Amino acid sequence: MFDLSFARQALPQIIAATPMALLIAAVATLAGLLLAILVVIVRERPLPLVTPLVATLVSFIRGTPILVQLYLVYYGLPQLLVVLKGWGWPVDPDGLSALLIAFVAYALNAAANLSESISAALHAVDRGQYEAAVTVGMPPARAIRRIVVPQLIANLLPNLTNIVLDLVKDTALVYNIGIVEVMGEANIISALGFKYLETYLDALLVYIVTCWLIARLFQLSEFIVRRRRPTNA
Amino acid sequence: MVLEVHNLHKQFKGKEILRGVDLTVGAGEVVVIIGPSGSGKTTLLRSLNFLEHADRGQLQLKDQQIDLAKPTKQQVQWVRRHTAMVFQNYNLFKNKTALQNIAEGLIYGQGMARQKAEGVARAALDKLGLADQADAYPAELSGGQQQRIGIARATVLHPEVILFDEPTSALDPELVGTVLNDMQALAKQGQPMVVVTHQMWFARNVASRVVFFADGRVVEEGAPADLFAHPKEERTRHFLNSLAENY
Repeated sequence: MFDLSFARQALPQIIAATPMALLIAAVATLAGLLLAILVVIVRERPLPLVTPLVATLVSFIRGTPILVQLYLVYYGLPQLLVVLKGWGWPVDPDGLSALLIAFVAYALNAAANLSESISAALHAVDRGQYEAAVTVGMPPARAIRRIVVPQLIANLLPNLTNIVLDLVKDTALVYNIGIVEVMGEANIISALGFKYLETYLDALLVYIVTCWLIARLFQLSEFIVRRRRPTNA
Repeated sequence: MVLEVHNLHKQFKGKEILRGVDLTVGAGEVVVIIGPSGSGKTTLLRSLNFLEHADRGQLQLKDQQIDLAKPTKQQVQWVRRHTAMVFQNYNLFKNKTALQNIAEGLIYGQGMARQKAEGVARAALDKLGLADQADAYPAELSGGQQQRIGIARATVLHPEVILFDEPTSALDPELVGTVLNDMQALAKQGQPMVVVTHQMWFARNVASRVVFFADGRVVEEGAPADLFAHPKEERTRHFLNSLAENY
């Protein structure tokens, strides 16, 4: 039978593992955003070699499961560092923690998805507004900052919410490389007590509440961004 | 001369769009460019403020002589600060109110203090009878109102010349009049302007000079009365006749 008291006892431990999931998702989002901006710039201003390479990488990442990417970074990154060290780079292949590997894998994944969303959000701002801004004498950089970027952000928020929620949920896979987050903790507890349903229901509860809170947070920021622009544009 | 263009050339993917265009705008002059669609009128206008990159040509604006094919960043910025443009699709800043749309160029293009710029913008809206729309966003305004604000946004900058790119082509017929009125008032104040339009009424009645443009070059130009009544070139006659047939 369902052991309610076991579920209740396990819950605090599983909640205690949530910060790890949030940390990975947060680092991936921030690093991913920076990378994605670079990707968008490279794709908007085509460079020979670099742009096709970046485009290929993005399509690879978008076309493969994040678990495969995680394993690839887990086994591939240390070897890459060994090679780089052989070339005299000051890197330490043995100093790679599982957490750092998760950061890299999830940031790359986030960057690929975010770059597509940023591109779409950018193209949804018609170029005519940028042109109008430079013809009233704004330097191009300022025209982008004052006119294009605010609208780009408003366009981006709904997609950004989805991407962040996906990242949070996808952190459930990092126990595969030995990081203990919500799912990892649930695995450990359920294996110790042979109470699988109870612990996984706890995990489900934690994910649902976490994601709901994050969604609300984004909803609020979307409201603030759009408040100064009542009608859709 | 306020503005002088000499031998402007422009290609798109091997196709010649502009084939050596010469154009002048004198003080207080309203130059209206008419001609068939696809003849390069818009490209000509957009080459003057570097929204398009010309392959060859000289631009003289005030005392500055600029190579249109190889302008420096400073020259591009200088030209854009001394000209303004009104677009077919208005291109108002959608994240800014009517008032901010007009003030934005004064503040961030010309470096005017915000308070002063907003005062200028408010006065401009007053003059248009749009004072009650100061805090409205473009999406809340009609096309006619948007375009009138677009014109105000250009006018408050007191540019050497305002470039109008088919300013009434996207408007409902009943809104065209208000916009043309604003432009006529502006012309009467002596604001030099270059207007690409299909509004022959405007060309006949407001232009100081009409330029007939076809196939990437100026076919002929002259006072509106002369050009409309006695076109010299066969191409011009053909164009004007085809217009008459549409009525």
